[in-house]
Amino acid sequence: MNSMERLVAAIQGKPADRIPIFCNLLDQGARELNLSLEEYYSKGEYVAEGQLKMREKYGYDNLWSLFYVGKEAELLGCRRMIFAKDGPPNVGEMVLRRPEDIPALQVPDDIYSHPAFEEQRKCLRILRDEAGGKYPICAYLTASMTLPAILMGMEKWMSLLLTGPTALRDELLHKCSLFFQREIEAYRQAGADVLVYSNPFGSTDFITPKIFQELSLPWMQKDLQPGGTAGVVYYCGSSPFNDVIETVIEHLGIQVFYLSPMDDIRTGKRRVAGRGLTCGVINDILLIDWTREQVRAEVRRIIEAGKPGGRFLFGTLVMPFTIPEDNIRVMLEAACEFGEGETVC
Amino acid sequence: MQSGSGIKTGVEDRPDEKMDAARQVFLSPFIRRYHEAILDTDHPFARQVVTEGLEQGILPEEILFKIVLPSIEQIMVSVSEARDISLAQYFIASQIASEVVEELIPRFRQSPDMVGRVVIGTASGDFHGLGKRIVIGCLKAMMVEVFDLGLNVAPEQFVEAALRANAQVIGISAMMIHTARGENGCRKVRQILKEQCLEERFRIAVGGAPYRFNPDLYRQVGADACAENGIAAGKVITGLIREVQRR
Ligand code: B12
Repeated sequence: MNSMERLVAAIQGKPADRIPIFCNLLDQGARELNLSLEEYYSKGEYVAEGQLKMREKYGYDNLWSLFYVGKEAELLGCRRMIFAKDGPPNVGEMVLRRPEDIPALQVPDDIYSHPAFEEQRKCLRILRDEAGGKYPICAYLTASMTLPAILMGMEKWMSLLLTGPTALRDELLHKCSLFFQREIEAYRQAGADVLVYSNPFGSTDFITPKIFQELSLPWMQKDLQPGGTAGVVYYCGSSPFNDVIETVIEHLGIQVFYLSPMDDIRTGKRRVAGRGLTCGVINDILLIDWTREQVRAEVRRIIEAGKPGGRFLFGTLVMPFTIPEDNIRVMLEAACEFGEGETVC
Repeated sequence: MQSGSGIKTGVEDRPDEKMDAARQVFLSPFIRRYHEAILDTDHPFARQVVTEGLEQGILPEEILFKIVLPSIEQIMVSVSEARDISLAQYFIASQIASEVVEELIPRFRQSPDMVGRVVIGTASGDFHGLGKRIVIGCLKAMMVEVFDLGLNVAPEQFVEAALRANAQVIGISAMMIHTARGENGCRKVRQILKEQCLEERFRIAVGGAPYRFNPDLYRQVGADACAENGIAAGKVITGLIREVQRR
């Protein structure tokens, strides 16, 4: 059984040799290729090679076409990234300095052929040629409600969102949603299978239930309606979202839920209620310091909570650069061991 | 009245208890409406309650110490009772506290006793400023004088600024693992304090996502305390200030 078949089986609730295991290694690819992070991310070929190498080395089930989240800001005009030697790159220039800059923000018509998408397109082509159909290829897309955070910064976005002016807020959301709709189309065209829809503002850890109903939900509908939800994964950037799962299924029709480590897995699964795939996620920040025994115990706890009844996947967040290789291996071994022979309802 | 955070409010010691009770009755609809507006993240309505209050004769001191600060403390109680408070609510509570402090303190009959001084910034290499901003608003409402050092602050700068401001606490916000754990963040600030024999003079408080995901991390990087959210941060930092002042 290959990784793609395993994932499809889990989504459909069919038997499989084991649960799918997603391990999200990004920056670590630079180490594999002996490059600085800045060099590594300068070429799609490098990122594709890093991804393929790491998957081969560790044996988990997914591949990533994501370089870093700031790439989306580059598509919207950001020209400066701040690279660190031991952590992910960050947006180093705000495309929108003030809310008054919003009317001038341009959303590219064609993202697929956009110069700022070129390296990702190359990366995706290699991944598809080498691994397409065998290993699910993931893409990362930021929802319209969250994208402004990397265009103007969280502080200014929070302020605009909550205190207005609402006309500018809505204009920005409209542009971000348009960007999302075009971006998801580009990723589909380029061959991505799993479309991780990232929206911390889709979690009631961030906003009140009222704002969720009045803003997050309608904007998510606008984002997703034109292209549909095939392959789309609901993810709140590691913020918990158990309490909105039912609403998301009913109103958006998303079928895959990538929980927060802070969500109770049994509760999440109960709410998904056989209508899709629940992904139990490890708090990978703790993998930096944990002992072998601690890692195994935590993987076991997660899988024991999620596996009964099937339709379950084990996953990580964006694995910090400093997690020791040994702990990555211990985690994956344990996930294979405890995730073996999926029980199906 | 002594508020929960132990802050002297300047409106305590009213001679007539009956009058106090009557005053409380007069204030209570404002207190309730203001708190509802905060929970509803309704900035204009919260501001309107403040404006109406002032128009109807509520003193600036009372606005701050009997309406704004108790609302913040009420949120803290909600959190301790496991009722969820969202980031948006922290943001609005702190934002308005900040505005009210700035606008009303100049109108106090006597300038309030300040609790202490804090310098705060984000760690070197870190450009995430929202956490810091929320913490600052809450600190101001708790009568702490805050010196905002901005984003991407070098460890030496934290110490120099703390010396210059004669602060009791250095606050460091970090949203990423490598800025929270790295060589140029809190660890280095601690090292400098040690080298310059300043550990008695300053306490270090940290916060941000990595510390929430790993509640032990603050000790590993040499901080004295950390806090989960802006309001808890206010509480923790006022605690540290008192520790230093007691020495
Ligand atoms: C929103 C978010 C995003 C948004 C917006 C990012 C932005 N520009 O701000 C998006 C989706 C775009 C994003 C992108 C990325 N993110 Co992000 N993101 C988050 C998320 C969900 C919330 C962070 C946030 O802004 N919180 C708002 C602050 C105010 O809330 P808070 O931390 O709760 O703050 C409170 C307390 O911490 C405390 N506090 C804060 N400071 C202080 C200081 C003191 C002294 C005290 C006492 C208390 C205190 O009080 C605050 C107020 O209540 C977190 C996960 C999480 N649930 O926390 C990840 C997270 C921070 N992101 C992470 C990462 C890695 C990234 C990326 C680098 C991914 C990538 N590889 O590209 C990018 C970087 C984007 C960029 N800037 O270029 C990681 C960081 C960990 C790590 N591996 O280093 C996190 C923790 C997610 C995870 N677990 O993997 N992200």
